[in-house]
Amino acid sequence: MKNYELIEHTADVGIRVKAVSLEELFKNAALAMFDIIAEKKFQSSGSPVKKFIVKQKADNLEELFINWLNELLSLSSAKEVIFCDFKFSKLTEQEIEAEAFGCDMKDYKVNAEIKAATYHQLKVEKAGSGWLAEVIFDV
Amino acid sequence: MSEETQITLEKIDNYHWRIPKTYKPGMRVSGIVYADEKLLKDIYKDKALEQVANVAFLPGIVRASLAMPDIHWGYGFPIGGVAATDIENGGVVSPGGVGFDINCGVRMLKTNFYYDDIKDKLKDLVYALFSDVPSGVGSKGDIRVSAKEEQEILVKGSKWAVEKGYGTQDDLECTEENGAIQGADPSAVSDRAYERGKAQSGTLGSGNHFLEVQTIDQLYDREACDALGLDLGQVTVMIHSGSRGLGYQVCEDYAKDMIHCLQKYNINVPDRQLACAPVNSSEGKAYLGAMRCAANYAWANRQCLMHLTRKTFERIFQMSWQKMGMNLIYDVAHNIAKIEKHSVDGEEKLLCVHRKGATRAFGPGNPAVPERYRKIGQPVIIPGDMGRNSYLLVGTKKAEEETFGSACHGAGRVKSRTASTRTTDLNTLLKELESKGIMVKASGRGTIVEEAPAAYKDVNDVVDVVHNAGISKRVCRMRPLCVIKG
Repeated sequence: MKNYELIEHTADVGIRVKAVSLEELFKNAALAMFDIIAEKKFQSSGSPVKKFIVKQKADNLEELFINWLNELLSLSSAKEVIFCDFKFSKLTEQEIEAEAFGCDMKDYKVNAEIKAATYHQLKVEKAGSGWLAEVIFDV
Repeated sequence: MSEETQITLEKIDNYHWRIPKTYKPGMRVSGIVYADEKLLKDIYKDKALEQVANVAFLPGIVRASLAMPDIHWGYGFPIGGVAATDIENGGVVSPGGVGFDINCGVRMLKTNFYYDDIKDKLKDLVYALFSDVPSGVGSKGDIRVSAKEEQEILVKGSKWAVEKGYGTQDDLECTEENGAIQGADPSAVSDRAYERGKAQSGTLGSGNHFLEVQTIDQLYDREACDALGLDLGQVTVMIHSGSRGLGYQVCEDYAKDMIHCLQKYNINVPDRQLACAPVNSSEGKAYLGAMRCAANYAWANRQCLMHLTRKTFERIFQMSWQKMGMNLIYDVAHNIAKIEKHSVDGEEKLLCVHRKGATRAFGPGNPAVPERYRKIGQPVIIPGDMGRNSYLLVGTKKAEEETFGSACHGAGRVKSRTASTRTTDLNTLLKELESKGIMVKASGRGTIVEEAPAAYKDVNDVVDVVHNAGISKRVCRMRPLCVIKG
């Protein structure tokens, strides 16, 4: 089952993600974004998974969240990988350090291009005992 | 999330509607919307008008925050928005006012063929174009460049492509800014942007980008058609693409930086996606230097795409492109910020004109219009959806007076991509298009349903408004024959 919902927007597409922790929220949002972009092919080329270190700083949690997603989009496009897993070594409201694991784009069927994650109607907030994020992508 | 807007517009006349400055405290000017009652029904369905009001907060904005009839809900700026700021009076530039796809734009070329000459070859043509012109998400082209050459592209734009043999001097004359806007600063472009741009020269991309073979099905202005060498039934080609990953990265780099400028320059805007900096600040200058690089990259890209198109026609019809008369009519940007002089309240001012999903539409006599078109006005190319029409118009003096010389850029979406996918059956749509004589090839089947005609406003309605409001003049209408989508 998908761990996110799509949000409709006239020109663009958005997601609503829920998680029990902030780390899971950042991870689920990134996985949802790459789920919109591409789906894994049945047959893999056997290319090894590549590891990238992602470090971002921001003034607040919302900016950090946008910077995180945009850095992953940018890396994905420049290095021709689809990110499939993440390990966080640091995550505060203003700083993130994580390992991002990218699979070769050749192993994926690419369905959509996301140009960027935007601040438009952005939500990153505590919801009950967990976390909620809503973000609109420019597609 | 399709929330209806709460704004009540004041009617000025049948095609002009006002959002009063008093609508929201903080608006520096009013909003003016170009639409008729029919289009307004769609415009009210989302929050685009709220965004027109938000743009009116920008420091230095003059005259009004303008919305073209194809306006729809964007992020920060509405798509179909025009805003000009007075540079000498603290006017700002906003990366969000240009968008991620910097110099997304469209070019139109003609051929000497009439529909009957090529109708039996259309199937070969659509397959050949689909295989020869790289399209699709993250598509990479055969036109590979070194890092040094990429820098050259960012400064020279289309001229780089022409020097490589991908076109002629004539093509440059028929491109806005001659295919290279001055003031590009390659040192303002990040390494990551270079990396993303490296492999994507000469590629169409995806989403709403396309290459279409069309035929003229209606003439409106015989004199202008004669000046352009166009006739009923004649076959034309339209190419819609932008600056690909390089442009997205430039926008992202600077949108991120400019969030900090809001505090630094004490700027109050209601949406972070409207982050901006004074044009004369170091941040403003750096963004414009980088944005111009991306704009030039996009012009070079469309020049390369046209070259590939001409080569494909040569292969299919066994004739040189010159013999087939495949001359460029014009190429216009529709996501860009330009420094232009315009008269505001009787005084000439140097403005930063943001066109976000809007086309420049200068009138007859304007020195920025190529000499060959100076009598009729600048060609304005308006693509529609894949099932209906596209238009060629010319700019007017009235546009220069009212809209800083701007008009609409397309049909404008009315349905989200998700909604369009949910409500469109691919096979039914393809059959429907086929019955109209339209062949479609796309890299992703998803793109066809996302881009279904029902997802768009009727371009005929949109063009009626710009024509009747006098900000552009209809010249001719085309209908699609072959559509290549990313």
